[in-house]
Amino acid sequence: MASVEIQNVQKHYGSFHALNDINLSVEEGEFVVMVGPSGCGKSTLLKTIAGLETVTSGQLLIKGRDVTRLEPGDRGIAMVFQSYALYPHMTVAENMGFGLRMAGRPKTQIDAAVARAAKILRLEEQLDKKPKQMSGGQRQRVAIGRAITRSPDVFLFDEPLSNLDAALRTQMRVELSTLHAELGSTMIYVTHDQVEAMTMASRIVVLNRGRIEQVGTPLDLYSNPANLFVAGFLGAPRMNFVTGKVVEAQGRSARIVCAGGLGVALDDLVQPAAIGEAVTIGIRPEKLRINDAGSAIAFGGQVRLTEYLGRETILYVDAGDLVTTGSDSGTGAFTAQIGEIRPFQTAAPVSIAFDARDAYLFAADGRTISSPKPVARL
Amino acid sequence: MFILPGALLFGIVIILASLQTVWVSFFDWDGVGEMQWVGLSNYVQLFDDAQFYVSLKNNLIWLGMFMLAPPLGLALALLLNQPIGGMRIMKSLFFVPLVLASVTVGVVFTWVYDPSFGLLSLIFGYFGATAPALLSDEHFVTFAVVAAALWPQIAFCLVLFLAGLNNLSEDLIGAGRVDGARGWPMLWHVVLPQLREVSFIALAVTVIGALRSFDMVAVMTSGGPFGSSTVLAYQMYEQSIFSYRFGYGAAIATVLFVIMAVFIAWYLRTLLKPEQENA
Repeated sequence: MASVEIQNVQKHYGSFHALNDINLSVEEGEFVVMVGPSGCGKSTLLKTIAGLETVTSGQLLIKGRDVTRLEPGDRGIAMVFQSYALYPHMTVAENMGFGLRMAGRPKTQIDAAVARAAKILRLEEQLDKKPKQMSGGQRQRVAIGRAITRSPDVFLFDEPLSNLDAALRTQMRVELSTLHAELGSTMIYVTHDQVEAMTMASRIVVLNRGRIEQVGTPLDLYSNPANLFVAGFLGAPRMNFVTGKVVEAQGRSARIVCAGGLGVALDDLVQPAAIGEAVTIGIRPEKLRINDAGSAIAFGGQVRLTEYLGRETILYVDAGDLVTTGSDSGTGAFTAQIGEIRPFQTAAPVSIAFDARDAYLFAADGRTISSPKPVARL
Repeated sequence: MFILPGALLFGIVIILASLQTVWVSFFDWDGVGEMQWVGLSNYVQLFDDAQFYVSLKNNLIWLGMFMLAPPLGLALALLLNQPIGGMRIMKSLFFVPLVLASVTVGVVFTWVYDPSFGLLSLIFGYFGATAPALLSDEHFVTFAVVAAALWPQIAFCLVLFLAGLNNLSEDLIGAGRVDGARGWPMLWHVVLPQLREVSFIALAVTVIGALRSFDMVAVMTSGGPFGSSTVLAYQMYEQSIFSYRFGYGAAIATVLFVIMAVFIAWYLRTLLKPEQENA
């Protein structure tokens, strides 16, 4: 039995469709991360699961029970908010025990649950403090503790780490993953940070404009994105996209010519391409090779900027008429990621090369029609 | 620099005038002629004056009944804050008494209470009864005046609470709902704690409003009948302006000032305490 079942859920605000026909099944014990750009509907979807937003149509089931019309407190969920949303006038212990108190549980039971949660989150020393006296990381721990004491069927997290600084965020990420392993509970986590999605999720749900673009394991989405949006959203630095036209098509093979006359031949397409079709070629920054002869596809460029990240180098290269769309540089420059430190002079001429088998091909409507040949699967 | 003009004006008009009032209270003075030092005799006379105790009692009635304003204002604000159609118009209707000058409110209520053509007599007449002449009954008159003054005071508290309700944290309400709080527990544990500061301001303003009540008494009853509806502020005004006893009036003002000072001290203490906690 699925832990959370979302069936044909729609959410309309007047003529604005915040959620469009969402269908999703979350298994018991899964850590599902919903990710997407701001305004994609991920927070709205989480709030409809929580019951803080009503659905326009569709059904929500938690552990097989229809909760669509139930109050949030009756759904067997607990939620952690981005703003922590701790009751400012209550102590840490009172905050964590409030849900059980509202449920009318005896004090001994509440104290035991609070003590257990405090132990898991190392908050034993802080129980008598007020939220105001605590740091951001500690407050978020209390908010998580408040969720744990309710022993919910499903934990909901709404961008819980966004208000923390980078170092603390990494630490809390590890703690949350550990917590999930310890509790084994179903968790649904919303974030706009794809690193959080990639590192924590057992499955990722990519949302865009109120629709689910793709659902899958992090590695699956990374290597087999269903469309241009998912390919561009996951991965940092972002994938390079070059638009081109199909000039030759035969069966499952096609030859594409891009601006500047760069030709790319691809085979094993999932569907035949039509001559004259406008397509997009995608290539991950780590698959671009700089000044490395022997590749099938190569073109010249000029170094715009070099970033040294300690163990790798990010290179932005202008390639004349051949420009990328929507890449990290925002200027049409190609992004290359080199797994070592290599010095480059700004404005120095370089050659860029990639293998056709590392390239993605997207149809005019954004669907993926060719992916790189699968490497070893985990 | 920015507060200097205000501070200067405050210093001259308020502080100096207050000090002068205390000074004048030790004299016998008709306002124009020679001032004659009488020491504490104004106060001695005051504490023997039956009228003073009537005023003091009436001030206490004002204070007690005015305490209804914050809870009633809060209740109305919670009601008006519901997402029901037409509430915007309702809200603006509730602002009306705030727009009216209190003198106007007094005059309007005098009409309402009028035993021959007032709204009250109409209502009583509908049930076949005769309306009591509230404003000329020495037992009811203060309650009738306070009821009139409560109207704008409730509206004022309502506006304060509405503003407070607009500032509620949506996430906190959400957290409360997830924790299963609804109805009274939600109001008590989640909403009201967030309205603490607003409630405090509403309470303080109401206390001070009750103590300095003057205009409604002046307009509706002039303290009558037989001085049964006077309050300290009105008695002070009457003694000073109509009876030319500025020294005696100043003594009343000083007593009123002392009573107010107690509340203001409490107000400032409570106001400053959370700031120290935060430091």
